[in-house]
Amino acid sequence: MTATLTRPPAPSGGHVPVLRLGALGTLHWRRRAVLVCLAMLAVGLIASLLTVTVGELGIPLRELPDVLAGNGSRAQEWVLRTNRLPRLLVGALAGAAFGVAGAIFQSVTRNPLGSPDVIGLGAGAAAGAAAAALVWPGVVPVAVGALIGAGVAIGAVYVGSGRGFAAPYRMVVTGIAVGAMALAFVQLALARATHEDAFAMSAWLNGSLASRRWSDVTLMAVALLVLIPLALMLTRRLQLVEMGDDAATGLGVDPTRTRNLAVGVAVLLTAAAVTVSGPVAFVALTSPQIARRLTRSTGPGMVAAACTGATVLVVADLIAQRLPFGVQYPVGVVTAALGGVYLAILLIREWRRGAV
Amino acid sequence: MTSVTSSTSVPTHSDGTGPAAAFAEPPLRAEGLTLAYDKTVVVEDLTVSVPRESFTVIIGPNGCGKSTLLRALARTMAPRSGRVLLDGEPITALRTKQVAKRIALLPQSPIAPEAITVGDLVARGRYPHQGLLRQWSPADEVAVRDALDATEVAGLRERLVSELSGGQRQRVWLAMALAQQTDLLLLDEPTTFLDIAHQLEVMDLCAHLHEQGRTLVAVLHDINQAARYATHLIAMKGGAVVAEGAPQDVITAERMADVFGLACRVVPDPETGTPMVVPARRGGHIRHG
Amino acid sequence: MTVVDRTAARAPHVTDVRGSRTRAWRLGAGLVGAVALLVLVTGLSIAVGSKSVPLAEVWQVLRFPDDSYASAVVDSRIPRTLLGLLVGAALAVAGAVIQGITRNPLGDPGLLGVNSGAAASVVIVTALAGVGAGRTVWAAIPGAVLAAVAVYAIGASGRGPTAVRLILAGAAVSAVLVALVEAISLANPEVFDSYRYWVVGSLAGRPLTAVDEVLPVIAVALLIALLLSRALNALALGDEAATSLGLRAGHTRLLGGAVATVLTAASVAAVGPIAFVGLAVPHVVRGFTGSDHRWLLPFCVALGPVLLLGADILGRVIARPGEIMVGAVTAFLGAPFLIAAVRRRGAAL
Repeated sequence: MTATLTRPPAPSGGHVPVLRLGALGTLHWRRRAVLVCLAMLAVGLIASLLTVTVGELGIPLRELPDVLAGNGSRAQEWVLRTNRLPRLLVGALAGAAFGVAGAIFQSVTRNPLGSPDVIGLGAGAAAGAAAAALVWPGVVPVAVGALIGAGVAIGAVYVGSGRGFAAPYRMVVTGIAVGAMALAFVQLALARATHEDAFAMSAWLNGSLASRRWSDVTLMAVALLVLIPLALMLTRRLQLVEMGDDAATGLGVDPTRTRNLAVGVAVLLTAAAVTVSGPVAFVALTSPQIARRLTRSTGPGMVAAACTGATVLVVADLIAQRLPFGVQYPVGVVTAALGGVYLAILLIREWRRGAV
Repeated sequence: MTSVTSSTSVPTHSDGTGPAAAFAEPPLRAEGLTLAYDKTVVVEDLTVSVPRESFTVIIGPNGCGKSTLLRALARTMAPRSGRVLLDGEPITALRTKQVAKRIALLPQSPIAPEAITVGDLVARGRYPHQGLLRQWSPADEVAVRDALDATEVAGLRERLVSELSGGQRQRVWLAMALAQQTDLLLLDEPTTFLDIAHQLEVMDLCAHLHEQGRTLVAVLHDINQAARYATHLIAMKGGAVVAEGAPQDVITAERMADVFGLACRVVPDPETGTPMVVPARRGGHIRHG
Repeated sequence: MTVVDRTAARAPHVTDVRGSRTRAWRLGAGLVGAVALLVLVTGLSIAVGSKSVPLAEVWQVLRFPDDSYASAVVDSRIPRTLLGLLVGAALAVAGAVIQGITRNPLGDPGLLGVNSGAAASVVIVTALAGVGAGRTVWAAIPGAVLAAVAVYAIGASGRGPTAVRLILAGAAVSAVLVALVEAISLANPEVFDSYRYWVVGSLAGRPLTAVDEVLPVIAVALLIALLLSRALNALALGDEAATSLGLRAGHTRLLGGAVATVLTAASVAAVGPIAFVGLAVPHVVRGFTGSDHRWLLPFCVALGPVLLLGADILGRVIARPGEIMVGAVTAFLGAPFLIAAVRRRGAAL
């Protein structure tokens, strides 16, 4: 089976690039999207190299291949394998998960503001995790607590907004309310915990990649391996649902089932990412937007959003670790600050354009 | 109620196939349909057929349920009770993608995604014929090209849909529906929001598509346009069919008074000879009481 | 009576004199009832807790303080009750004023970023000058003002600030400010500790001197707000109508905004950021009084503390022998309230 790139004959000027997979079929692709993904990955790679090489414990670039091959000093091995490499991988994988979850939600709500972090999903996951870790420790693992919290939050928003995913602005305001409740719960849990517990937990509650282990990497890798193909399979259907429920049904897509499946995938992705990195603010909001603008795509570009999310989180973590204030900050603080500014700019631009 | 219906009692095979059945069975039929939004029942126990290869137009005052009926026929709305038959089979028994290969719908307010080109939008109409690994084939290319040619928007293929005029945009949505390559075409108020010249453009296009052998069902607001273009009219009021048949039979002064509360005269259209409604001078409005 | 966004305020002179007199009697009676309720809740606030003191004994001990155990318990609850009275009134009136000047029934200092702004400047001052300096009104005001201005500026882009736009702008600004606060508190463990207890919003653990600090500020601001009632009524008619009635809309907005910000900043400085009181109380009161600020604001002064002290009492009762801080209680009660309010606004969103 050979894969060849061909363009069907186009007498009237139209052409659609396809990837022919011999007997298997054809895959539609867009050149611009592929280029953007490659560029994103390149940026991410550069940021990764910087993460590994700079700082007091950094491994100089020329020694890096040796250390990777296993020939470095004990200290260097530790820095790379126990400290920086898991952190880097978790950041990239969690960022990808946030990006795809954001792309799905923004597509389903037909609104950039319908992002899981704005509608309270991240806060709910954090509250669930805080409950599992601080309030009732030992009952369920933190990951399960995060998933339950996320599920409860999305359920509350869906029911509370009255019209489900069809009314994005209502979802957002309801999400802000639900998020406020979740946040109050978290603050309460923190206030009642011991100082050490609270300090340790609060970094995570902002979204932190510090002290990540290989088990976290495995969790994320498995989650992505299962969920990203599902998301990809739903892409075309989501594109059609974006055109309106009637148009989608007319073309042979069940809009409600597609939405529910897609949201299910997005909730699972968010819960997994929040488990390993805490509710990192605004990655789910900004990455799909950046990807969409760069690729000029007309539907939820899952791959582009994943690449962008991974890069955004890795770069933000690099900034958080290298801020000149003497302290290593949780990555969530950086994404919240930058993301809040991005959200404000997004709002201003949308409103100036006249879009409600 | 005068009616010229086209459903017959010719026996058909249970699965609706067979040469006799193919000609006797209406392509689309509603039986005992009750349609409601939440608590409001809009249509109750309605039975109506769409004649094969007709240009059927549904007319009626606001709120009579015509768009609702069309949505039920297109299966975008699930009925409270009753059923819709597509070529004799219940439409719910078919997978929605299968239905999409036989019915194309032009919905009332479709949403064009941001920054999509005409070519891409029309290409989306090929979805029912595609699969996960069969995302584009020469057949798709041909279908899209034919659809663009039929609606005369081939020259706009690379343009952004958002930049087009109302009439052009409507033709592009029609092209998308045509790309589905179905025999049945359902149009929900295709001419509302267009100015008169564009309205007639779209209606002429629909007439042309009908002449090529398709069955069209459209909801229209304009009675005279309906009279001009339709081969079969369904007049609705209050959620029920009050008349159906050829325009000459359905459009009479008494019927217009009954359905629309409109005092009028019906004269033959000087251009086409079809019935034309001329409303009476002001003050002649009939009050029901 | 439902709340409508651009409702015309009742004109000061109503043609039906008899009707207006009945209405005035009704509202007057309502206000007396509200004050009575306030007194009751105040008494309960002193009486109820992990060690409850019967109301009769409370009255006795207040009149003749002695060294008994009951007296000590009552003494310990006086600061929080007084704070609850002041802050409850301040937040309710601040919410009502914000709703008036933005013509937005979903206005609340917490939703519009003012709480986060005040919290940010409190934390900054605490980090620079210690906890004592941090918890003063003057530390809270700059942040509150900057946040309010930023939110309004963002929300006003394009067609103008609608209810939802201001909330969204508030979310964006809050996010940035909270990030700032987290950054500072994570760098300073002492600041972190004082911050995490304070950020929930609690009436507990504050000395009587805290009351002394905020009492004059809040009292003056409340007075100014009450004097603005007529102007706020006119503003509700729309800027152009208000101007034709001789009102300077811009000045009124500015003064009202300043008053609301000061009230919020004082509250945040005293007890930490508490949300939803400013949203819920005016909403409920409007159902009874209508949008006439001359009645709306006094009722808010009376019923704001009822809500806040009530939430405080609830927090004490539910979690005996511990307590749930009042800020968490109002969040848990207020969020569903916001959701319900949004749903009732129907197609406007």
